[in-house]
Amino acid sequence: MQQTSHKFKDNVKHALKQPNLRTAIDRTTGLLTSRRRETLAQYPEYAEARATAERIKDHTLDYLDHYLEMFEKNAIASGAKVYWAETPKQATDTIIDICKSHDAKSVTRAKSMLGEEIGIGEALAEAGIERVETDLAEHIIQLADEPPSHIVVPALHKTREEVAELFTEHHADPHKTDDVAALVESARRELRPKYVGADIGISGANFLIADTGSICTVTNEGNAELTTTLPKVHIVNVGIDKLVPSMGHCAVFIRLLSRAALGTEISQYTTYYNGPKRSGDIDGPEELHIVLVDNRRTEIFDSFMKPMLRCIRCGACMNHCPVYNAVGGHPYGYVYPGPMGAILTPAMTSLEEAGDLPNACTLNGRCQEVCPVNIPLPDMMRRLREEQWRRKLTPASMRVGLGFWAFAVKRPWLYRLGTRFSVVMMRWVARAKGKITSLPGAGGWTRHRDLTAPQQGTFMDQYKRGRRS
Amino acid sequence: MSSQTDGSTGARSAILGALRKSLGRTALDLDVVAGEAQSLLGDATRHQPKFDDQTSRARFIERATSERLTATVDEVAALADAPAAVQRYLQQCDLPAQISHPPMDCLRELDWGAIACHETLSPDEPVAVNIADWAIAETGSLVFTSRSDSPTLYSYLPLHHVILVDGGGILRYMEDYWAMIRAADTAPPRSTNFITGTSGTADIEAQNIRGAHGPRFMHIVIFGE
Ligand code: SF4
Repeated sequence: MQQTSHKFKDNVKHALKQPNLRTAIDRTTGLLTSRRRETLAQYPEYAEARATAERIKDHTLDYLDHYLEMFEKNAIASGAKVYWAETPKQATDTIIDICKSHDAKSVTRAKSMLGEEIGIGEALAEAGIERVETDLAEHIIQLADEPPSHIVVPALHKTREEVAELFTEHHADPHKTDDVAALVESARRELRPKYVGADIGISGANFLIADTGSICTVTNEGNAELTTTLPKVHIVNVGIDKLVPSMGHCAVFIRLLSRAALGTEISQYTTYYNGPKRSGDIDGPEELHIVLVDNRRTEIFDSFMKPMLRCIRCGACMNHCPVYNAVGGHPYGYVYPGPMGAILTPAMTSLEEAGDLPNACTLNGRCQEVCPVNIPLPDMMRRLREEQWRRKLTPASMRVGLGFWAFAVKRPWLYRLGTRFSVVMMRWVARAKGKITSLPGAGGWTRHRDLTAPQQGTFMDQYKRGRRS
Repeated sequence: MSSQTDGSTGARSAILGALRKSLGRTALDLDVVAGEAQSLLGDATRHQPKFDDQTSRARFIERATSERLTATVDEVAALADAPAAVQRYLQQCDLPAQISHPPMDCLRELDWGAIACHETLSPDEPVAVNIADWAIAETGSLVFTSRSDSPTLYSYLPLHHVILVDGGGILRYMEDYWAMIRAADTAPPRSTNFITGTSGTADIEAQNIRGAHGPRFMHIVIFGE
């Protein structure tokens, strides 16, 4: 996808003007966060599971080279072919080569964020291969020709009314009523024949199990299994961070993933794949290809952002983020939005291209609190801001402002004089009303609400009064 | 030995090389790694949700029939009684007396009475009946593995999925299943499917809707104690 993160502020302005966007976001994140709360309330062992998951991921990262080789060996033993790719281009080239060697005309795809990362959609289009997105949300945004706006529910920015319009326009036999069930049925009818007609199925993986060489997918709709079982060839594109040592370790993540993502104990379909169809099997693909993708994960591995490689892509951090909830996923301008996107975008592109993303955060700490693998997102956000400052990427106005502030704060008499002056000025502006309705330099605040003028003097005045009494 | 193309070989050594450089590790003691991994598994009871006051069967039924999973459950004394239970279900749903089932001997040998059986599976199959290998009480899940007589798609293509499961095969936790597989020490099947309730989607305004791409209805017949 075309990255637009550097235009974050403009993207936000655009998003805030979309009439339906807030409704669409609120309807979804509201339900997801309340369901998560309810499920966790019934799972007193959650804290223990979360701590264990964090330790398992850290252990796996400590021996990632070893576990990757172990996975590769076992996957090959089960009959899969394993490929490695450093860059998105290498990954898509490998996938397109496999497609071409089978003369593939049509590919079904089960949603994976890694696929978005490497630009699998564009690569297939260039190769002239039809791509059928089978996940309902991906199907919606494919019809709308839009990028995903959330990592778990990618069409979150669409209201049901908008989906209804899209389906009426594109489906052969669209819904008759506008309720959500009828829309889902319409997509089922539309996609059914496409599953059967596809030459190749492409999926991602939620987990790779090192000691068995298995791929694990976790879905609700059942589209992954139809995508991976019906066509003759199954290709898996997956990041090298998805490893866990064994099935027993995986169980901890299965307990956490759906609770964090959707507020359910477990998703409907948790499937473990080992190699292609066996002799005598009636269904299943004849070939299984696994493409292990780096895309700068080894660089993240070697940086302060290493804990980011624990991420299980549950989306809880964005569901709970005030910035994400105000503007949605598109303004972030890259594959990953929300708090985790504000880290992954500079990590996978560059701090320059990521623009304001590390600043699109109030540092309220909710994201880390709700993260099932305890990733210190706010700390990393702070580190990225420092890095921006060091590399002089922070806007000049802010640098100058902070320069003045730093000068004053190092000279208490000057700082106090300054604050006293501001208090006097603010009282003067507010006059009898006690409220400031417009203040130069703080238009962003006063456009939507009044600012109360300080009644009690400066902090130091109050502090001194307090000490005397 | 492993890689398929030159580019892949290069990428493989670059990726592993970068990881090793960053880790700064020289030798690797495999016993230490395995020991650490084992100790992380530690005491699974610490993160397994507790339901000590319930039998596995009771928990399984409670979960499977929950609002979230939307399955219905019938209990019969033995596998031989399963066709009658299937017949009851078909009548309840006002469906024709016709089912598809996988080519398993134990299903072929049942007396299906008035129900017409076929072993083909169409993309729009109305009703398929198959047998689960195991069930998991914790989550209300059913476990299927692929074999020559047990294709995967019977659990995904039909609109109504009717599942027979042995009451003695209800395990408490996911880990119990994996421990059993590990003890058996056989190569894992091509596909192991943990299925929990009917196909659903929350993709439009997070509303839970059934029958997205897989079955819209699930009926479980538990046979035996
Ligand atoms: S950072 Fe944590 S909360 Fe956010 S998607 Fe990743 S695992 Fe989930």
